[in-house]
Amino acid sequence: MKLEDIDVAVIGAGPAGMAAAIRAKETGAENVVIIERDALLGGLLHQCIHNGFGLLYFGENLTGPEYSYRFAEKLMDTGVKPLPDTMVLKVSGEREITAVNSRDGLFTLKPKSIVLAMGCRERSRGGINIPGTRPAGVLTAGTAQRLVNIEGFVPGNKIVILGTGDIGMIMARRLTLEGAQVKGVVEILPYVGGLIRNEVQCLHDFQIPVLLQHTITQIHGEDRIEAVTIAALDARQRPIAGTERKIECDTLLLSVGLIPENELSTMAGVKLDPLTGGAVVNEMRQTNISGIFAGGNVLHVHDLVDNVSWESELAGENAAKFAQGRKIPEEQITLKPGRNIKYVLPQVISGENDATLYMRVKEPEKNVKIKVGDIMSSLTIMGVKPSTMVKVEVSAAELQKYEGKEIVVDCQVKGG
Amino acid sequence: MAIYETEVLIIGGGIAGAAIARGLSKYKADVTLVEKGMDFGQGITKSSSTIVNQGSNVIKFRPEYHNSRLVWAGRPLMEPLCRELQVPYQKIGSLTLFKNQAGMRHPKKMLQKFEEWSGKYMPQAEPLQLIDRETLHSWEPNINKEFIGAVYDPNIAVIDPVRLTIALAENARQNGILTMLETEVLDIWHQADRFAVETNKGTINCRYIINAAGEYVVKIAQKVNADDFALYPVKSYMAVLDQKVGNLVNHMVTMEEHGTINPTVYGNLFFGTSPGSQRLGKIHDHATDKKIADAAFEHARQLVPAISERDIINSWVGFIMYRNFEVGWHECSVGVSRWLPRFINASIGFPGICAAPAAAREMIGLLAREGLKLEQNPDFQPFRKAPPVFNELSDDEKRELMAKDQRYGHIVCRCETVTEGEIVAAIKNGARSLDGVKFRCRPGMGRCHGGFCGPKIIKILARELGISEEEVTKKGGQSRYLLHKSKELLEVE
Repeated sequence: MKLEDIDVAVIGAGPAGMAAAIRAKETGAENVVIIERDALLGGLLHQCIHNGFGLLYFGENLTGPEYSYRFAEKLMDTGVKPLPDTMVLKVSGEREITAVNSRDGLFTLKPKSIVLAMGCRERSRGGINIPGTRPAGVLTAGTAQRLVNIEGFVPGNKIVILGTGDIGMIMARRLTLEGAQVKGVVEILPYVGGLIRNEVQCLHDFQIPVLLQHTITQIHGEDRIEAVTIAALDARQRPIAGTERKIECDTLLLSVGLIPENELSTMAGVKLDPLTGGAVVNEMRQTNISGIFAGGNVLHVHDLVDNVSWESELAGENAAKFAQGRKIPEEQITLKPGRNIKYVLPQVISGENDATLYMRVKEPEKNVKIKVGDIMSSLTIMGVKPSTMVKVEVSAAELQKYEGKEIVVDCQVKGG
Repeated sequence: MAIYETEVLIIGGGIAGAAIARGLSKYKADVTLVEKGMDFGQGITKSSSTIVNQGSNVIKFRPEYHNSRLVWAGRPLMEPLCRELQVPYQKIGSLTLFKNQAGMRHPKKMLQKFEEWSGKYMPQAEPLQLIDRETLHSWEPNINKEFIGAVYDPNIAVIDPVRLTIALAENARQNGILTMLETEVLDIWHQADRFAVETNKGTINCRYIINAAGEYVVKIAQKVNADDFALYPVKSYMAVLDQKVGNLVNHMVTMEEHGTINPTVYGNLFFGTSPGSQRLGKIHDHATDKKIADAAFEHARQLVPAISERDIINSWVGFIMYRNFEVGWHECSVGVSRWLPRFINASIGFPGICAAPAAAREMIGLLAREGLKLEQNPDFQPFRKAPPVFNELSDDEKRELMAKDQRYGHIVCRCETVTEGEIVAAIKNGARSLDGVKFRCRPGMGRCHGGFCGPKIIKILARELGISEEEVTKKGGQSRYLLHKSKELLEVE
């Protein structure tokens, strides 16, 4: 295959990129390439050696590498061309990709359509501005996961974890199994940030202390971290004087949020939604730039990889259709987050297709229903949590009857 | 223990020590520089702001201040120096802002004093200009709309202080100066016309000492009773923000107590508090403080309302050594100890980076006066060939480089687009820790802060230095990054 006549180019070969590339090929796109900066297909799934992947997508309980392998195999079978060890340096609004690797040097691709699937990165210490010194031993949970599960090193022996993101909780268990002492997991909010199953299986089952409504107010140590000061927080998340205590540790892991990795998107002129940190897309996962699609964590941070795969298939399918010159309907209706809704994705819809709306709530609530404007209400949902995405299907038939330009999506307490 | 003989010993490898080492390498002198850290410029230099060519803000600078005279004398030296050493230098200009007619007093005085002094002390400086509201907001659309004007100083430039320091030290070494890293001065003995300096690497006998130990300058002087001065460490707060907000301002913008905000040579946004909001610190206390950080950002938002803590990549304490409180931040201590001949204290004060080139010149003069014979080094090579920076090359240059060395096609740091080739070159040039690599070629300086590239760089460092991955440190000393091998903690002792 010549690099000149590419139909669909997918950037990133994590779960999102692989699903998009496979579906693009299945939809009939002739030449599909998938560009990956690592040597292997699969992205961060390789370091996620715990199970819990694929329960929805495959109806099986798989580990990260197993989940990745299923897609990688299918990808090779369908004839997608992988470009491993390759870094994309630039994407233009005219859909020109500049990339580099040691085999081919610097080269450009001009695909008919692009799927952005770069995933996300972890928020680091700078972004949360923890006061104190700047010693070695302060790292993100994901970096620690790579070190333990792939590189074969344990970063330290006495661990404190800030944040109850899923990777943080999973690393609390993983490091305990490696013989390290996890002294505590500190969370600013009054509830755990990640999935309930991780809270139970990774923290409670291993008797790891969880300090809710606490934060780290100081990092100590010149060369290597020696201790952290923690403090309880009041209702407005301010440290309460007198509650400070020092915990000795040699490692601090941060699990304080994920940020969609959209530097390439921005270069191409893709418009971002400040609420998700990812692109503004329609139900076909097309961005404001015609022919540029996006799926997975680059768009919004997902709870489960299964949802990443499904969403990215949508992006891959429509990227293939675009490459084939098939018409992509125009956006007509804007979706706005309403009561207790942090964001709704897609942000715009054409009204011509069935649409699956993904959203996250701001605060946990019980007995709610999701109301999509005047169009429809979901059945009662037992409970919603910010850590779990809420999914609502809206049919094309219902949307076509709607004449407005904007729909507000609310999370309403039943009977309220 | 080993015994070394040298004519001149420079203690400290920060901007001051490196500048004088490089200055002395122009002569046939026998010079050794010792630095206790694992790399050059990792003390006050690392924590300083990126601004140079200060001095035209004549309110803060006065002819009677030694530091002011050094800054003024050093202004014309900085750009050619950066050119010779191939380190970034970018003229951005500064805007001293004011909000109302009452606030005009300060700028008016600035213009007036500049008129008065520039001819004498800053002959090459371009004149300051008063900028009206409309021009100001067209130049800087993101600053607070309340500002009604500014004094524009076209002379102000930005550099990378650590890269400049490393380049100075490397160029000095290339011209015959011996540099010893991880060499800490433990004690100094003075006998007749010699000094015996005890270090962790052995004893160094010398005739002249330049004490450029930065934060530890008093501690070093005390070892041999040459501390005829007192210094007070003062802390300020600094932060560097993501490149995506690097264009919030185009110039350095400042207003008295609100600190300064400026783009860096790498397109990040830099923010630092001004001396007005500093407070007394303790030697070796480099911890940032939430109160100071919050207050600093409150001030920063007065200048540029859109600035956000969310975009911080790193924040740290800036360290300034006050000469004393009466004279304040302007003053410095460069001179032969009144109590001990041939012992020169070189605490260059604040701003230090701009003062360094002239301070080096002055210290060489002092050495000559103290009896050091200075004969030109005919082999002196002022030009240092900087290793290639992939991200700054044109596409054709990138291709050419990759054709020569494949490792320039392997991107290790995605945020800053740093290749394996550059990292290997940095290690060949002396980087031995993660910070050493980071300050030379920037992997880990970006928004993920080394989360992705850290493990990869550890591998490259271990491979190139022939050490195990567990031996790799962040910045030398006890700062190992990987404490244990997998399963090691489960082994029964």
